[in-house]
Amino acid sequence: MMTAWHFLKHLNCTPTLQLLRSSSFSLNRYSSSLFFLSIHTTAPDQWPPRPQFKNSHANSSTPSLAVQSMASPVPAPANYVSVLLRCNKDISDMLAEALLSFGASSVTMNEDDVCPGTDEICVSSIFLEGEDINTSISHAADSIGLKEIPRYEVKILEENDWMKGAQELFHPVEVTEGLWVVPKWITPPDSQAMNIVLNPGLAFGTGDHPTTKLCLLLLHDCIKGGEHILDYGTGTGILAIAALKFGASFAVGVDIDSQAIASASQNATLNNIGPDKLQLHLIASQTLSSSRDDWPFSVVEGENASEMETVTHKDKYDVVVANILLNPLLNLADQIIFSAKPGAMIGLSGILSEQVENVLQKYSPFLEGIEVSKMDDWACVSGRKRMNIDIC
Amino acid sequence: MAAKEILTRRPVAATIKLTVPAGGARPAPPVGPALGQYRLNLMAFCKDFNARTQKYKPDTPMAVSITAFKDNTFEFTVKSPSVTWYLKKAAGIESGSGRPGHVTASTLSLKHVYEIAKVKQNDHYLQNMSLEAITKSIIGTANSMGIHIVRDLD
Repeated sequence: MMTAWHFLKHLNCTPTLQLLRSSSFSLNRYSSSLFFLSIHTTAPDQWPPRPQFKNSHANSSTPSLAVQSMASPVPAPANYVSVLLRCNKDISDMLAEALLSFGASSVTMNEDDVCPGTDEICVSSIFLEGEDINTSISHAADSIGLKEIPRYEVKILEENDWMKGAQELFHPVEVTEGLWVVPKWITPPDSQAMNIVLNPGLAFGTGDHPTTKLCLLLLHDCIKGGEHILDYGTGTGILAIAALKFGASFAVGVDIDSQAIASASQNATLNNIGPDKLQLHLIASQTLSSSRDDWPFSVVEGENASEMETVTHKDKYDVVVANILLNPLLNLADQIIFSAKPGAMIGLSGILSEQVENVLQKYSPFLEGIEVSKMDDWACVSGRKRMNIDIC
Repeated sequence: MAAKEILTRRPVAATIKLTVPAGGARPAPPVGPALGQYRLNLMAFCKDFNARTQKYKPDTPMAVSITAFKDNTFEFTVKSPSVTWYLKKAAGIESGSGRPGHVTASTLSLKHVYEIAKVKQNDHYLQNMSLEAITKSIIGTANSMGIHIVRDLD
């Protein structure tokens, strides 16, 4: 318990300390068997967290490309501190703003925490490791003219608390008749349907989002069999995997996020797709150490632009789909167009309806038969690459 | 998540405030812990927030206010940094730790002010103000900070 007390002193907080998390010590990669907290210092910008793998990969040490930041060899789990304060309802907004200015990572006002019979409300605030909470709170209180520092309680939270919650939200989605996207831990509602099984971790693409659906529908309609697919911003790999299930013969998934590549790789395995059918490429601005031998998929890292050229020069694709964001779509337009064969289908999404014009402006010189599909506020622009384009 | 009008008020679970860099929301702090504790769809928020902040310069610290409903759905509003933040940035003054202190008197040109006004006009609550009105307001703020606005900087 010595280290725990040391940590308490470091926190510099009032005696009303409440340490919460105990068991469910699923930060299993880090030693510290003695303590119920694992305390490692880490600067907030050395995040990313490890993806939560549920298969054998979880027990081997994580492939080096997956989640390591450059500065430290092993990213430590970041612990958060949740500080619970009471204050008068009238000043809660001001206090929230002040806390955010003085080091709080976020501030939450819970509707149910209004203390009955008083004018007080509970405000909880999350501080990342390294923040001097007492100083932050006293400065915040001071800046809005409070005469004394509000009493507060501190809870220590683990990254798993919120990571698990985030992942549990995933539920089976029927994208269109006979096509489901199902979490790995749930039995498919329709065993006869085409089921894409996913363990998304912290990557994007569970079939739930309108943009994912729009892209899946596009792929469903245009794939006839035997195509080569390029999936920009592959995330969980859902579009590449779906394309292969629809009959495409080969797919390449590209992403700038190592967690995406890790997730996509696992999902390929979950859907019995081998490296002969799906290749994944990580594009990162920093170089990472080389991939392990037992990593089933060939992963290549490199500088942004030149890496993309390697991927796109090697093969030309029959279908190119990019569910990313407006700015990358505009910046990567030349590469996206160039990677496609003449006559290839190109699908662009991750854009809001109001952003369609920008995309059309950039891409219409290169595409014909342009269609825009929409769902909620989101849109997908698709078209075929014109036959007679010379791009140098 | 969709920006639709809600005719009946859904019960609110909490209001969450945080700062997120434009186009840079990730399932990591500050977003992860703040939203995760209310079981909100992290990835959907990141996708939505990033898409909606594409028009801002990357890494601009956006003030986000999320209303989490009891059914785990949510809505959020986004505000660009305050005018004082932009003025400090343009004048090359460090915003620092936010400790109370003096703002060094500095000088900016009208061009700076116009640029700031154009960005602020993107803010929902300022959409009905004319660029001229926003500019005048910014000049007023600058003056109160000890920042002098001139026609041209040479």
